[in-house]
Amino acid sequence: MSSDATQLEIFLARLYTDAHARADFKANPREEAKRAGLSEEQSAALERLDWIGLEMAARSFAKKRHQKRRRTWFAALKTRLSRFRFFRFVH
Amino acid sequence: MDSLTDRVGLGWRPDLAAGILEHLDDIDLLEVIADDFFAAPHSQVRALKTLAAQVPVVLHGISLGLASSAPAETRRLDQMARLVDQVRPEFWSEHLAFVRAGGIEIGHLAAPPRNRSTVDATAANLDRAEAAVGAKPLVENIATLIDPPASPLSESEWLNGILAASPCALLLDLHNVLANGFNHGYDPFEFIRQIPPERIAGIHIAGGKFVSAPDGSQRLLDDHLHDVPDPVFDLLEETAARAPAPLTVILERDGDYPSMDSLLAQIGEARRALAKGRARRYHPVEAVR
Repeated sequence: MSSDATQLEIFLARLYTDAHARADFKANPREEAKRAGLSEEQSAALERLDWIGLEMAARSFAKKRHQKRRRTWFAALKTRLSRFRFFRFVH
Repeated sequence: MDSLTDRVGLGWRPDLAAGILEHLDDIDLLEVIADDFFAAPHSQVRALKTLAAQVPVVLHGISLGLASSAPAETRRLDQMARLVDQVRPEFWSEHLAFVRAGGIEIGHLAAPPRNRSTVDATAANLDRAEAAVGAKPLVENIATLIDPPASPLSESEWLNGILAASPCALLLDLHNVLANGFNHGYDPFEFIRQIPPERIAGIHIAGGKFVSAPDGSQRLLDDHLHDVPDPVFDLLEETAARAPAPLTVILERDGDYPSMDSLLAQIGEARRALAKGRARRYHPVEAVR
């Protein structure tokens, strides 16, 4: 698939997950888009970005990542505890 | 189409397990989050197989990231394939979203730029998914708080492009349509009219909440933490009036769980909306009056 499209997705993923990247981009959209290797057309499109939507989406994604980390931690704990119970049972 | 062939079920969540098992007669099928079982111990997969022997089960993926210009990861597709092989669901489904790029995990479903490139890349990923799993997934439209940049195509044009490029059935999430319509200024009923009705096989219904944006405006957040609002049932009726095939409707609830009675009441409301839509399909002239 086109590397242009891939570069744009990587750039968006960074904006969605990194507050510093969002601040840098907001301060200097053209320069940041160029640094990310985006095309002129993509850079122009990003200048018309829905900034409010971006901030709200980023907040929502951060909450989801936090919930996921908690779920993963609890699941790992549960698995370890169940192994411990099994260990006690067989010995 | 006989409305009796439509089914209404519930998303399986461990917190709801006891209530679900107690009311299996009122629930036609269960939708299980596949990713929860990718790394689960054998005992949990065995329990899921036992559940699938008692009640129809469908599997729902959340992390394959099929609507991405990057190829879906073989490891994740293999995990889905293994689970599908073990559980033998009626079907499996996944979102039209990208969830990671360049090693960055976004953590949830993100809308990719809606253009020809992502249409083609998604179709290629759906082919990969079919090759790995043995069947194409139903594909689900997502909710997005941000209108994805670099998108010359509207949401319905992009969705129709994918459906044209890949013979997948659609899992139409009606709260996502409602939320995107509210947040990005389109009529959700018009959106449904723009989708080929013969491709709709599954429906998600859920609730969300209005949140204040920094500029004081409101946006509708699809959080699955609230009851299904009336407009979603209206959209369900509209979909049932248009779709010729039997529909599988799933009520999704991810937390702040209400009583089982409340969930069953929402399932009942969905059945009524389906029946009203099907009645309009049988008697289109009366519907106009």
